[in-house]
Amino acid sequence: MSAAIPQAGPEPRSVVRAEHLTLGYRHRVVVQELSFEIHQRAILGIVGPNGCGKTTLLRTILGLVKPLRGTIDRDPRLIISYVPQRDRLDTMLPITAYEVALMGCTARAGVLRGAKATDRDAARRALIRVGVESLGPQLFRNLSGGQQQRVLLARALAAEPDVLVLDEPTAGMDIASEAAILAFLEDLNRTRGVTILIVTHLLSLVLNFATSIMLMGADEILHGPVDEILREDRLTALYRTPVHLGRVGGQRILVVGSRDTRHV
Amino acid sequence: MFEATFMRLALVASIAASVPLSVIGVYLIIRRVVFLGLVLANAATVGAAVALVFGWSPEISAVVAALTTALGMGALPSPHRVSGESITAWAYAAAASAAVLILAGATAADADTLHLLYGNVLAVSPGHATGLVVVALVIGIVHVLFGSRFLLVTFDAEAAHVAGVNTRLWVIGLNLSIGAAAAAAVHEIGALLTFALLTLAPMASLLITRRIRTTFVVSAAIGIAAVGVGLAMAFQLDLPPGPVSVALLASTVVIAAIASRWQE
Repeated sequence: MSAAIPQAGPEPRSVVRAEHLTLGYRHRVVVQELSFEIHQRAILGIVGPNGCGKTTLLRTILGLVKPLRGTIDRDPRLIISYVPQRDRLDTMLPITAYEVALMGCTARAGVLRGAKATDRDAARRALIRVGVESLGPQLFRNLSGGQQQRVLLARALAAEPDVLVLDEPTAGMDIASEAAILAFLEDLNRTRGVTILIVTHLLSLVLNFATSIMLMGADEILHGPVDEILREDRLTALYRTPVHLGRVGGQRILVVGSRDTRHV
Repeated sequence: MFEATFMRLALVASIAASVPLSVIGVYLIIRRVVFLGLVLANAATVGAAVALVFGWSPEISAVVAALTTALGMGALPSPHRVSGESITAWAYAAAASAAVLILAGATAADADTLHLLYGNVLAVSPGHATGLVVVALVIGIVHVLFGSRFLLVTFDAEAAHVAGVNTRLWVIGLNLSIGAAAAAAVHEIGALLTFALLTLAPMASLLITRRIRTTFVVSAAIGIAAVGVGLAMAFQLDLPPGPVSVALLASTVVIAAIASRWQE
C-alpha cells in the first residue's frame, strides 16, 4: 500500500517518508509493506484497535526501533519532540514540573552546557502555554495524571519543535481538559505550522481534530483524509462491533455498539 | 581513637569509598536496578580473586572485572522473555559463586581471601587510601559535569533518544562509574558494605528528600556518617567495622522511612 497524505498550504515539505516498511520484533511481524509520506503542517491521527502496531509504528517513526525491512527517512533539519504516555515514566525521581519542562531544552544542548537563562525562560513559557505554570515548583510525581501529561507536553514544546509526536496524549484527562489540549494542539498547528502525529486507540479523539488518518487493522492499513478513510462498514469490520458515523453541529460523531450496548 | 595512623587511614579510605558509592547509588535505586550494585561488587571480588590465584595486582584486576561487567550489563539488549532484573540476578549468582569457588582454590591466601570477601579497612595502606581518594574525585568530576545527562536518560530515555541523546552510551557511562566505584571500594571495605553504601544510603535519602540535588548531598552525608560512626563504634566495641556500618545504614533506612511517613 502506498499513498501520500495531502495537506493544506503551498508545497508542504515531507517530514517523514517511509517505503516498504515491515515492522515488528524479531520473529513477530506486526506491519508489512507499509509506505507513506507525512507532510509538514499535517495533523495525522494514527488509530486502530489494540495490538495493531500503532505504538510500533510510532517508535519506528521516532527512530526508537529499526524496521525489519524497508526504509524510513526523517528530515534531519526538523526538531522532533515526543510526548510519551505518562504512565511509562519513572516517577520515583524527585524532580519538579519545571525541571521536567527544562529537560526539553537541555536534552538538545551540548553535553557540557548547563541550562542557560534562555532555556529557563523557554521552560517557563512552555508551562504557561499549557496552563500549568503554577505547578512548576511542585514535584512531578505528586501531580495528577492529566497534570503530568500537560507537563510532558510543556517539555516537548520547550524545544520549539517542528514536529510533535504524542502517544495517547489525553490518557487520564477529563473531557474538559481533553478538549482544551486538542484545541491547543490545533492552534499550535495553525499558528506555528507544527506537524502533529497523534497515536491513540480512541478514534473519537481524532475525528474532528486530525486532517488525515492512518487506520491500522490486522489485514490492511489505510491512510488519507478523514472523510475518505472513516466509513461505517470499514470501522464495523475492523472493530467487529457496529459503528455509526454522523454529524452534529458540523462535528463528526461516532456511535459504537448495538442498540443495547450503545455509547458515543 | 583517630590518633593512630591506621585509624586515620581507615577513616580517609572509608569516606573516600562511601561518597561516590552513596551518590551514584541514587541512580541504581531510581532506575530500579539495585542488584546491579551487588553484581558489580561481586564481579570486582572475582577479578581480585583471579589476581590472587595468578599473582597479579588485585586492584587492577578488580577494576578490569567490574568495568567489563558494567560495560556488558549496559550493552545487553532488553530481553523479551525474561525481565532485565532476572538477568542481573543471574549475573549476581554467577559472580558470587565464581568468587567463592576461585577463593576456595586459593589455599595459600587465607588472610587475603577474607579481606576480599569482607574487606579490612583497618589494614588499608596509604597508597590504597590515596587511590580511593583519586577514584572518588574522578567520579565526582564526571557526575558534576554529566549529571544532567545521567538524569535525562534516567527519567525518560526514549524522549532523550528522540532529542538526539545517545542513551545507550550514557547508560554504559553510568554503569562504568558505578563499576569503578565498586571495584575501588570492594577490596578495602568488602562487598557487603560496598553494596550497602550503593543502596541503603540513597534509599534513606530518597525517603526524606524532595529535590534531586538534596538527595545526592544527603545520601553522601549518610554514607560518610555511617562509615565514620561505624569505624568509631567498631573501635570502641571491638567489632568488625564493615558490618557495624552496614547495621547503621540499615537502621538509617528505618528511621528515614518513619520520618517520611511523619512528613506525609
